[in-house]
Amino acid sequence: MRRTRTLTLAAAAAGALVLSGCAGGAPAGPAADVTAEPAYEGTLSILTKFAGEPLEPYFEDLAAAYEAEHPDVDVELIQETDQSIKDKTKTLTASQALPDIYFTWTGDWAENFVTGGLAADLSEVIAPGTEWGDTFGEASLSAFQYDGKYYGIPLYNNGKFMGYNTQAFAEAGVDVPQTFEELVDACGPLRDAGYEPIAFGNKDGWPALHYLQQLFAYNVPSDVLHADFDPETAKWDDPGYVSSLEQFKTLVDECTDTGSGTNGVLYTTAQEALAGGNAAMYYQEVLEFDSITAEGSSLSPDDFGIFQLPAPDGAAGDPAAIEGAPEGYLINAKSAQAPLAVDFMKFVTELENAKTLSAPPYGQPSAVVGAVTEETSSRAVYEGITKVNEASQLVGWLDTVTVPEVADAWLAGGEAIISGSATPKEVLESVQAANADAQ
Amino acid sequence: MSRQQTPTRSDARSGAGFDRPPTLTKAMSNAPGGPVDRNARGWYPKVAGLVWVLPALVVLAVFVYLPLVQNLGFSTQEWDIYSGATEFVGLENYEKLVGDPVFWTALGNNVLYAVLSIVFQVFAALVLAALIESLRSLRWRKALRAIYFVPAAISLTVAGLLFYFIYEPNLGLLNHLLEAIGLGQLAQPWLGQESTAMLAIIAMSQWQGFGYSTLLFAVAIQRIPSELYEAAALDGIGHVRRFFHITLPLVREMTGLMIIVTISGAFQVFNEVMVMTSGGPNNSTQVLATWLYRSGFVRNDFGYAAAIATVIFVVTLLIALAQLWYTRRRRVEF
Repeated sequence: MRRTRTLTLAAAAAGALVLSGCAGGAPAGPAADVTAEPAYEGTLSILTKFAGEPLEPYFEDLAAAYEAEHPDVDVELIQETDQSIKDKTKTLTASQALPDIYFTWTGDWAENFVTGGLAADLSEVIAPGTEWGDTFGEASLSAFQYDGKYYGIPLYNNGKFMGYNTQAFAEAGVDVPQTFEELVDACGPLRDAGYEPIAFGNKDGWPALHYLQQLFAYNVPSDVLHADFDPETAKWDDPGYVSSLEQFKTLVDECTDTGSGTNGVLYTTAQEALAGGNAAMYYQEVLEFDSITAEGSSLSPDDFGIFQLPAPDGAAGDPAAIEGAPEGYLINAKSAQAPLAVDFMKFVTELENAKTLSAPPYGQPSAVVGAVTEETSSRAVYEGITKVNEASQLVGWLDTVTVPEVADAWLAGGEAIISGSATPKEVLESVQAANADAQ
Repeated sequence: MSRQQTPTRSDARSGAGFDRPPTLTKAMSNAPGGPVDRNARGWYPKVAGLVWVLPALVVLAVFVYLPLVQNLGFSTQEWDIYSGATEFVGLENYEKLVGDPVFWTALGNNVLYAVLSIVFQVFAALVLAALIESLRSLRWRKALRAIYFVPAAISLTVAGLLFYFIYEPNLGLLNHLLEAIGLGQLAQPWLGQESTAMLAIIAMSQWQGFGYSTLLFAVAIQRIPSELYEAAALDGIGHVRRFFHITLPLVREMTGLMIIVTISGAFQVFNEVMVMTSGGPNNSTQVLATWLYRSGFVRNDFGYAAAIATVIFVVTLLIALAQLWYTRRRRVEF
């Protein structure tokens, strides 16, 4: 019997080896020559994160304009949403069907494509000092730099801010809080004035991570925080993490109407609560500013203000750090259309197109220098990007700067903190365990 | 007056009393007593038959069995989807399963889902079907069958979204209803806390599937000869005893089938969980399929995801085998 079982296992293992031989293998060497002259013919595929209104027409219009300029080129758009693009990209990657140009976040997300040989090295065309590279802010380019090489084309910059209804603040008689403690103290008067102090929806898990990462930047010394992003050097044992989780729990309990049930609320419901004039504050990305005050919202651009999530008194980290990162595009290293892809992205990031992107209704602050101005962008977007540029450092999103196992542990931990099913110490232990697995 | 002969089951096996099936080959159409074509009993009919079924076999092999075998292979590997590199790790992914608390939570949720589904979609649905079929008015019977069936016509994704908004803590109908009838203290963030999230999803699923099961049981009850009920009624046997002594035994085939189908469905649950909670909060509503998805597409651990897929396959295979065994063994004939 034991012999039979051993033979069965051996056969299964052998079968698996045969299969692994079929399925595996190192990637083919990069084929893309991004410096070559493009041949203006054929199909160019691009995966964007601009599905849905109001963003969808942006790439549609650009593709139509490019095709009109180059009649033998057919631009094939694959447009996904912020949520669906993650699955789409991984499915295309696993089936070796990545398009010529594809969207990316910074951090671990982009690094996976770089180390996997799926992103073309663009240093020769986009590094600072090159003609195209000099049209971008250097920090935006550096966000996609790995081992000294530049891989990404930054499309827009982004940062996280507390958006607030200035009328609600005036009615409640509260000023913009300067410390985290003042923020929590402001919630009582705002609730008394008839507003939900902070609208918050965490059904998808990541909105909690945005609060946590900003609090980590405040409470954890920068060098420790950055070391913890890498599983090889991470310890995740700084007391600042426990403080951050406690502060986060206080904010959820004191300032949201949904409290421990916040995990059952969509982030778009929370967004609507501010736009509809029911909530006084909503923690959001610069990319959302123009949607909040779009036509049809109760909240007008004049009544909309922003401030950086205030740092706790005496926090051990960097109170001038802002959570955020540029987002951009990579060019498939195996694409036969790489020169054409570079040409198309140069067209996308021309100043006029960059200004269009930065203006309402798109409101995506372009990474191109000179695109975001008081004239081109809304007041809030301009103010947000100015603050991003003035920040001592940008700390990337927690779910893209860490490896997926650790990010997932933080995501579950954030939910557990909200519902009260785990203590900060227990959450930290689960993150440490996930990090040990990832090593 | 001559009585018309009806074909029996044994006739069906021999072909007597039924129209002759269409001729497939020349050899098969030879008249009895004529020259015997040796190919008729030899290789030719077998090959011809094989040719007919070959396309289906190829499709089945490529799209069903090959992925199954490939999945087994993937479950013994670490697979980096970015570089395409694979590393054979033997049974490591299966060892990891054993030590993964979320896997056990997911498995427990599937079992809970199966148990509650059997209670509602099998036993409660059977009782409801019996009640509907016991109504005298045909119009009411038809109307009630349609009313109960309507949720089954809604896609699971749509039903999930609908219930997501019903359960919403601030704006949801359920909490407002509880407050309106003076039970405001029972209002909960149904999907937002570990203690109620899974039960809330299962409740939606029962609402969606209950009518379909009821309809199937109604069909099974309609097949029971009415003479049996009439005789029982003449003997003074009440509704409850008629249910237990006539209905229940004579729909046992359908009951068995429904139990197996329900359990099998419970281990393949995915859509409603993804739409309503994505497995949260804190992984409390993970089921095997959503944990598989999360392991692969969020955590990039495709080898581990394949191991979970193998577990789902084994469980559903065992249930399918049980279904085959049961349906062959327990025939109800009237």
